[in-house]
Amino acid sequence: MDARMTVEECLEMWRNPYPRLARMREEGERPVAFFCSYTPEEILHAAGFTPVRLMGAVRTITHADAHLQAYCCSLARTDLDMALAGELDFLEGAVFVQTCDTMMRLSDIWRRNTSFPFHGDLVLPIRMGEEISLPFLVEEVRRFRGRVEEYLGRSIRDDALEESIHVYNRNRRMADRLYLLRRERPGALDGLSATACLVAGFWMRREKHNDLLHHILEEAEAGKEKAAEKLPLLVSGSVCATPDLYELLAELDAEVVDDDLCCGHRYFDAFADENISPEEALARRLWQRVNCPAKHQCLEDRAERLLRQVGDSGAKGVVFFLQSFCEPHLFDIPYLRNRLREELGIPSLVLESELQSFSRGQLRTRLQAFLETIRGV
Amino acid sequence: MSSGENRDEEREAKERRRIKSGEAMRDLMTKYYMEAKAAEGTDKHIAWITSGGPVEPLIAFDVIPVYPENHGAMCGAAHMNVELCEVAESRGFSRDLCSYARGDIGSAITKGGPIGGLPRPTFLVCCNNICNTVFKWYEELARFFDVPLFIFDTPFVRGGLPSHHLDYTRRQMEEYISFLERITSREYDEAHFVEVAAKSLYASGLWAEVLACNQARPAPMTCFDAFILMAPIVTLRGTQEVVDFYQGLLQEMRDRVEQGIGILPSEKYRLLWDNIPVWYEMRNLGRLFMELEACLVADTYTSAWTFQEVDTEDPLEAMAAIYTEVYLNINLERMADKIESLARRYEVDGMVMHSNRSCKPYSLGQYDLAKEFTRRTGKPTLIIEADHTDSRWYNRAEVEGRIRDFVENLL
Ligand code: SF4
Ligand code: SF4
Repeated sequence: MDARMTVEECLEMWRNPYPRLARMREEGERPVAFFCSYTPEEILHAAGFTPVRLMGAVRTITHADAHLQAYCCSLARTDLDMALAGELDFLEGAVFVQTCDTMMRLSDIWRRNTSFPFHGDLVLPIRMGEEISLPFLVEEVRRFRGRVEEYLGRSIRDDALEESIHVYNRNRRMADRLYLLRRERPGALDGLSATACLVAGFWMRREKHNDLLHHILEEAEAGKEKAAEKLPLLVSGSVCATPDLYELLAELDAEVVDDDLCCGHRYFDAFADENISPEEALARRLWQRVNCPAKHQCLEDRAERLLRQVGDSGAKGVVFFLQSFCEPHLFDIPYLRNRLREELGIPSLVLESELQSFSRGQLRTRLQAFLETIRGV
Repeated sequence: MSSGENRDEEREAKERRRIKSGEAMRDLMTKYYMEAKAAEGTDKHIAWITSGGPVEPLIAFDVIPVYPENHGAMCGAAHMNVELCEVAESRGFSRDLCSYARGDIGSAITKGGPIGGLPRPTFLVCCNNICNTVFKWYEELARFFDVPLFIFDTPFVRGGLPSHHLDYTRRQMEEYISFLERITSREYDEAHFVEVAAKSLYASGLWAEVLACNQARPAPMTCFDAFILMAPIVTLRGTQEVVDFYQGLLQEMRDRVEQGIGILPSEKYRLLWDNIPVWYEMRNLGRLFMELEACLVADTYTSAWTFQEVDTEDPLEAMAAIYTEVYLNINLERMADKIESLARRYEVDGMVMHSNRSCKPYSLGQYDLAKEFTRRTGKPTLIIEADHTDSRWYNRAEVEGRIRDFVENLL
């Protein structure tokens, strides 16, 4: 299949992954949902599940309002809404990782009001990257494995887990290459396509995604480049539930050259060490990977990292894309914007997304105005 | 009888119902804030700390603890928090962030509020047992004041407290102590710490007994009084003054119970309150409940500072466990157990829940808790929409109307 078609399919999935997810069961897969990039997917994978990521959906809320107040992010609200409406019945279960207050409470609400066979919780420290929290995290990962094994009624073999770690590491290596390619040769692979290829991995078995990335990389790396003069930008925030932001930027002649998203760079950062015990490897990876704002920044200041990413990628502006009511992200915004402005003279735009009242038109207007200021028109 | 005599009688009855310890508390808190403010710029250490944070080590190291949340409540009650929030908002902080945090950041910038802002901290202590918002807020404070931040990380507890949680928090207690040794250049004195911890526990035991007095009919106070009277236990537990104060208060409450003095002129209904008070609206709501003869006899908030017995053999571990299993750091089922037990002990006729727009850990899950509460107790619940200190979201007419309907329909 040619690369163009693969990208098209990935985009299609990004627009609406649910029809494909709904077919998984018939195809013999056992999908288990996760929400957060701190989920040790390898354990689910080794257990024979297909971890699939729920990133919300553009929809009107019909069921979730009886359980969640309106001042809660639209990821939580729309995901719960789909579950309560019975639209996620193909799932065997879901895994909740403690990040923000919303996720912490959503796990209980979900468990009490749905009847999926499996429910997993993983409690993470907020002090990542500090010696003191590592033993706790290793034990949590071990407990999580135990929880999955208990559900399966059998143990997950170490070699199976090691194999899964290997599969995911390979995936991360290719994701790195993908990002490098898009940054260095944007003419060969644009930001929209690269991101589509990456996020499509949330809705298929990792081996399949590895094949997909391999194929895309081969073609793109060999392909020739057309020099495209587009305005380079960086996107920072949580997740993009739909490709609209990227599509609009492309329409407006801008190019996303790098990101700081939890469905992007933060998702595949850092490898699991294949030479130590699998639980420790998984725990260590989560513990040392780039921090999400829901964790305490002690390894590296988020602003430093963002500034470096902007510098390295040559971005001329930053678009912050986050969910309304998302405390962890919203708290960091003033600081990050100040540093960008004061140290690099880089302008930024903050876009808040509410999936239940999504408007592409409004998004476009705001982006257009922002791009015009950068271009100085 | 002349109307003059009538008024005199009324005044007397009112005076009889008034809680006299309120003055002692105001004196205690005024002295505390004055001392804290006077310490600014001296070589005394001042630490800002979250309300659920372990304060005992600070007291043991002679550090002055300062509580932005208590200050936030004060700013809210003085109707000054909105302007402080607006300062933070003008700097780019979203209107959807916790209004304590916004107000505090605003007050740090302008020194605004009823007492001219809080004294500058020399370091910060943040414990996430109440929410995951506080460490973001304290990160901002650490940048603003450019001072060290100690985070006491208390992972969320579902079901029982697993041993690796306790290992983690226990090790952090030790780290906290070393951190204080370094900052204050003093050595840890375990005997002194145990003494402080014992006082703290003793005071919290007294506080629990004060609250328990409200099991009596009529109740000697409402939880709105408790919200005010808890200031010392939140801010200064571990000191002798606090022990003395709560001894006095307990005596007063016991006397009231004995003499049958209720806080309301007449108590027809007994209600449970959930969530942080609506600080800027306490007076109006208090009046409304009084008029409706409904007494808020207990709540989920003030009881957060009543700790169970601990073993003083290993005070650090005991503290670590206590601070991890507070009300907001446990799963919904355990919260439901607590609410149910309050409802039974205080024999309430229903529950009023404040759905608090900018406090998610306290508010998300309330709809499910309300249902569970009714299922277990057969009592109704009312959920009102407000915010603890941001009055811009508050619709008085609507809330009061709903409270009236609710109480009037109680059996
Ligand atoms: S978007 Fe923000 S508030 Fe929502 S689940 Fe993610 S981190 Fe939590
Ligand atoms: S979010 Fe809630 S618990 Fe956290 S500081 Fe604000 S009011 Fe307190």
